[in-house]
Amino acid sequence: MKKSINRIFTLTSRNLKEIIRDPLSLLFMIGLPIFMEIFFYFIFHKLTSQFEMKYLAPGIVVFSQAFLSLFMGMLISLDRNTSFLTRLFVSEAKPYEFIFSYTLALIPICLVQSVLFFVIGGIIDSSIFRINMILAILLSLVTSFLFIGIGILLGSLCNEKSIGGVSSLVIVCQSVLSGMWFPLEGMSEGFLSVMKVLPFKNMTMIVQNSLNGYLNLFDDLLLPIIIVISYTIVIFILSIFIFKKKMKSN
Amino acid sequence: MEELLQVFHLRKTFTLTRKQQKINKTSETKKVAVDDLSFNAYKGEIYGLLGPNGAGKTTTLRIISTLIKADEGDALVEGISVNKNPDGVRRKIGFLTSELKLEDFFTPNYLFDYFSSLHQIDKEKANKRKEYLFNKFGIENFKEVKVADLSTGMKQKVSIVISLVHDPDIIIFDEPTNGLDVITAKIVTDFLLDLKKEGKTIIISTHIFSLVEKLCDRVGIIFNGKMIRDDTLENLTKEKSLEDVFFELYKQEVGE
Repeated sequence: MKKSINRIFTLTSRNLKEIIRDPLSLLFMIGLPIFMEIFFYFIFHKLTSQFEMKYLAPGIVVFSQAFLSLFMGMLISLDRNTSFLTRLFVSEAKPYEFIFSYTLALIPICLVQSVLFFVIGGIIDSSIFRINMILAILLSLVTSFLFIGIGILLGSLCNEKSIGGVSSLVIVCQSVLSGMWFPLEGMSEGFLSVMKVLPFKNMTMIVQNSLNGYLNLFDDLLLPIIIVISYTIVIFILSIFIFKKKMKSN
Repeated sequence: MEELLQVFHLRKTFTLTRKQQKINKTSETKKVAVDDLSFNAYKGEIYGLLGPNGAGKTTTLRIISTLIKADEGDALVEGISVNKNPDGVRRKIGFLTSELKLEDFFTPNYLFDYFSSLHQIDKEKANKRKEYLFNKFGIENFKEVKVADLSTGMKQKVSIVISLVHDPDIIIFDEPTNGLDVITAKIVTDFLLDLKKEGKTIIISTHIFSLVEKLCDRVGIIFNGKMIRDDTLENLTKEKSLEDVFFELYKQEVGE
């Protein structure tokens, strides 16, 4: 067990270095969302309540996490392409240790994203500085795990060339289906029902409602958390299975 | 002689994709890569798997290295089964191939520390080993240079060194001199001979006759996944050159 934990931390430190050394990943995971947070607030917040900071900041936090899928996927597909994983696989490291290490490497980045976007939001509109912000930051970690899991899954499935395009779908889904940029309320009943069982809207709801409060604890917070965690568990199990299989076939 | 590696009746079949079927000009959906292959390697010897491309050499080495599982058969590394205890086997082997690339961003020094940490080698021991291997391969001078800025030969040296951080008893080397310039190839072959002197067992795969003649004590000739001949180099080359023996067997087996 101790050996396994040591290996996970060794792998994690390398993965974190790999992610933050790439200026493009930092630009997309941090720079672009900051720009969007400021830009959309000042352009639209007087036109529609959707872009008030209390909704925009949590939305941006979850939106920025969608980029985690892209960069996690890219890192894994690159590791597969360079046979780096083959070299690791003849060490004693286990597939689950790889998965944990990829996940752990992104947690500090998720924390930085959440704190930064909330603080910037708070500087622009101080009304969002409230005790609930801590809860929102903590729960944003829950939502980040799903994106990390999707990234690991896609990185295991796709090659270096296709990963960008496939991961972009996750970002598009989070943009369109979360209700963050476009109101979903005007959509048909059937569409809304589908949105309720998909994770995208639920992830945004978790962070928004934990910051702003809720009418019904179960419907507005607990149910979305249950849905997102369920997806996360399934995605991680699938990731480990496919990662292991791909490593063998590589 | 002590048998360090025993390979029993390995068999491995791959499912061909449509693309692979087109390339191989076949309608068969399965390809037998390794077919009832057995051999032994003894302590302190270099064993060479010799065969043309697609003969099953790499697949055999990957099975022994626990990278893939055989459909049938087993291999024992110092008595440890690759099927039953792959972790135990990984502790005993070092696996190298010219395909194993390095990450551009990191330095040889970082990579060595990283892999020794993964192999749970204590710091003092790892530093001693690093000093020895870096001196041996002349890496000391560029140990802090990023891999991206190294030549192909330098990269190959680093690649070899980080595969040997844990001082394995058995070194499995797939095509050891592939893509290397003559100087690096010489360093690699000399190093393999040094390892042999240290009592290590080395298994290589190659299609280069001169490399086998220079390095190997015993040779296994493989065609189409089958072991056609397994003998000492001395016995094989008693009357004819290795190349002549190889092509004679090739004609008999493949009929071309």
